[in-house]
Amino acid sequence: MNTSPNSTHFIDLAAVGLVLASLAMAPAAQPAFGHHAGAAWDREQVQELQGTIKEFQFTNPHTWIQLNVENADGTVEEWSIEWGSPNSLSRRGIRPSTFPPGVEATMRINPMKSGDKAGGFVGAKFGDGTVVGRWED
Amino acid sequence: MRTFKQSCHAACLALATVLLLASGSAYGQGEPETLPDWSGVWQMIGGTVFDRATVEGEGGATTPGLREHPPYNDEWEAIYERNLALRDQGLFPDPLSNCGLPIGFPRIMNVPDVYEFAVTPKQVWILTENGPNILRIFTDGRDLPAPEDRWPTFNGVSVGQWEGDTLVFRTVSAKGSMDGDAIIDRTGLVLSNQLEAITRMRKIDDELIEAQMTIEDPAALTAPWQVTKQYRKLPEGTFVYDYACAENNRNPVDRETGRTLTLGPNGEVLGETN
Repeated sequence: MNTSPNSTHFIDLAAVGLVLASLAMAPAAQPAFGHHAGAAWDREQVQELQGTIKEFQFTNPHTWIQLNVENADGTVEEWSIEWGSPNSLSRRGIRPSTFPPGVEATMRINPMKSGDKAGGFVGAKFGDGTVVGRWED
Repeated sequence: MRTFKQSCHAACLALATVLLLASGSAYGQGEPETLPDWSGVWQMIGGTVFDRATVEGEGGATTPGLREHPPYNDEWEAIYERNLALRDQGLFPDPLSNCGLPIGFPRIMNVPDVYEFAVTPKQVWILTENGPNILRIFTDGRDLPAPEDRWPTFNGVSVGQWEGDTLVFRTVSAKGSMDGDAIIDRTGLVLSNQLEAITRMRKIDDELIEAQMTIEDPAALTAPWQVTKQYRKLPEGTFVYDYACAENNRNPVDRETGRTLTLGPNGEVLGETN
């Protein structure tokens, strides 16, 4: 019985070994997924916000859109809007450039039950009519 | 001086060896002549409710009211019911939410994002993008370590062999819910560190890989628990990305209350009074 792999498999092993080595060196980055159980969001409510994108945190474990919203009295409040992991979103065509800083947008969220300035992302609509996520007129 | 016959003999032996190595034949006892091609990028079908065959209720693992029905004994059914009640209140802590722990077996067969199944002559590696996590399955003919040579770890130890195109492996010495380190899904499913599983994995067709698990746990279960997970192949060229949980974790778990927190842009806890 021959238990030796052929040369092709040696190459495969080397390649996969490199991948594993890379994983081993990843910064303190172990698990976590679908981090937010969603318990904080009120899934029965959809709130609409108009504002200016401050930042799109295209990071694990979840992405966050920071949106500056100007109130009627002229004060500006920063909202935190949580979306999926950059890994899964990227496979749906979402990129760090999807929400450019400084651009105005209308966003729909499932608001935080506590009333704090945060929520789960539902959809967004830009001035030119471009829609991201779920948006039903 | 070597004769022509001697030279030919040596050369022919070398050639035969090369041909044998190149043929990829007979990697180990019980292994097929050609290892199956499980290359590509795969995604688990369905949500992260572990045992969809026994699910009761609608929604996902965190939806109040939804539960599964493992063959728990009374003691562990009570544990599960307590976990379900905490889940319904948003207070069932997922150990992963603070970043830094492996996901553990059998939950490693039940994660979102994507999978790779790396089949090599002496091991199979199940790689999950989420985490990332690695389940190593040794197929080189070794036995399980003696009981005194193993101890509870997140993924335990997996040893198996090929039966035709089916990978059959046994997993032992997983931590289960020991130390509160590993759950199976977010409904609150847990097992003890006495869990053992036989998993049969095979490629159903070019687009589908199936894993049939038979899980036993003398501490928690009254009968073998059979769970099947399936993985669908994603389009050629699909990328697998870095996954760094600690990069920007704005949903850590409060260890005192079990609540998954929401952090504002400056790290402040939102909804504290909720």
